[in-house]
Amino acid sequence: MTSKFGHLWILAAALFVQTSAAEAHIVAARLGDFYAGALHPLTDLRDIVLWTATGVLAGALGAPKGRWLIPVFPLGLLVGLSLGRIFGAASTQLADATMMLALGMLLAAAARIPTFLLCAIAFAIAVMRGAANGADLGPDTDRLLFAAGLACAGYGAITLTMALTTAFKRTKSDSSASWRTIAVRALGGWIASIGLMMAGLALAS
Amino acid sequence: MTAIRYLRLALILLAALIQPSLLRAHEAAMGVLEFREVRPGAFIGRWTMEPTIGPERVDLRVPSHCLLRLPEMNCGQKGLVGPITITNLGSNMSVVLLKVIPITGEARSYTISTANPVVSILGAGAPTLETWLELAKTYVNYGIDHILLGADHLLFVLGLIWIVGGGWRLVKTITAFTIGHSASLAAAAFGLIGVPERPLNACIALSIAFVGVEIVKQQRGEIGITARYPWAVAFTFGLVHGIGFAGALAGLGLERRLLPAALLFFNVGVEIGQLAFVLLVLALIWAHRRLDAVVPRWGAALPAYAIGSVSMFWFFGRLARVFAAI
Repeated sequence: MTSKFGHLWILAAALFVQTSAAEAHIVAARLGDFYAGALHPLTDLRDIVLWTATGVLAGALGAPKGRWLIPVFPLGLLVGLSLGRIFGAASTQLADATMMLALGMLLAAAARIPTFLLCAIAFAIAVMRGAANGADLGPDTDRLLFAAGLACAGYGAITLTMALTTAFKRTKSDSSASWRTIAVRALGGWIASIGLMMAGLALAS
Repeated sequence: MTAIRYLRLALILLAALIQPSLLRAHEAAMGVLEFREVRPGAFIGRWTMEPTIGPERVDLRVPSHCLLRLPEMNCGQKGLVGPITITNLGSNMSVVLLKVIPITGEARSYTISTANPVVSILGAGAPTLETWLELAKTYVNYGIDHILLGADHLLFVLGLIWIVGGGWRLVKTITAFTIGHSASLAAAAFGLIGVPERPLNACIALSIAFVGVEIVKQQRGEIGITARYPWAVAFTFGLVHGIGFAGALAGLGLERRLLPAALLFFNVGVEIGQLAFVLLVLALIWAHRRLDAVVPRWGAALPAYAIGSVSMFWFFGRLARVFAAI
């Protein structure tokens, strides 16, 4: 039974990873480049995991620290998109995996990092993913609209993830809050595991 | 007082422009392809409205038993039954209306769009359940696409949410907007009213500017007409926006008997898109409150001025097009 579930997970992950180029093209053809930019991150598992992990970490650290990411993260995406255009796309697989591992471990350890460090990590992730998202843009793509869509998606995703995490965690340290803290730390452990597997895969290939 | 003046001006402009003619709010890149049966199984195809990319660049695929060499298409004894596809629909050509005119029986229309690039020709006996399902799929998707691509409509809805906030007042306001645009959409689609496209688009831009002014008034502590009667403003401008929505359907040249159903499905699509947008905005407002991330006092008026500036930019651009056409 476990083996069946394992196969299903691998199959689902493979399908998820394979969708990128085709799905992005369909979105662009149907709704234009703004929505292509907004939905492009959904076609890459690394974006989904890293954006979610960043939002959860910021939310877990509390609203006063996390709210700085509302402007920082979309700005990082735009900077990354611009840098990717100037310097060309580089393979970020290992860097992404390392970031996943780092974010997961910070979450699992419930580390209280300072606001500056949180912003620096989020900005670095956003720059990397912004560059990666802009890597496979076609010559017909309106880059301004794509960038606007990507930045809006970054703003929406990070804001909602942080708010949901703070709502889930609550602030009181009663018994219900403690299992919630454990759940968030467990999620961090899973994220770290995914990062570790991806790093192994990147080093092996 | 300024808001009432704006409302009056918009209504006067709208009233002056009402006259029976076709209209379009967003320019749709489309083409109309007609297949006329000249003998059993043999058709002559021609573009009655050529797509902007040129008919020779349209990658048209017909059922495998049909031999297509435009203007001729031969489908043999089996006739024209099966899937027809256009594989290269994109931003320069989003919709193609396909008309099939058999020797006997009624002509049938099919819409191939980016959302639904394959249509199944069902042959004699249509409309069947499959026809209705296909129509629903096509027009619901088309309605969703239309509202999501209509930045002006979404900006107006955003302005309303900004003024009204959440709760029942928002439900009533959005419902009034829905009733307004549904009524005028139906009236325009059936040809009961008609407004030229360009002045209408200018009015739509003006409606957003009006909402921007109302937001500024609210921030100054004044109670504007939108804050007092949000449903009335939403309904009135909903009528204007609805005529704009109808423009997306008007150019497709649908058969009249299919129009009510197409209209219904298109409206359902518009509502789905609008509801998704409203829910997203409400979720973001909740998230900002949760994170205590509010716009600082010095920047509180920025969103209203941004909405107003964008809408006035659109208004002057669209007004210039009105004068250019005269």
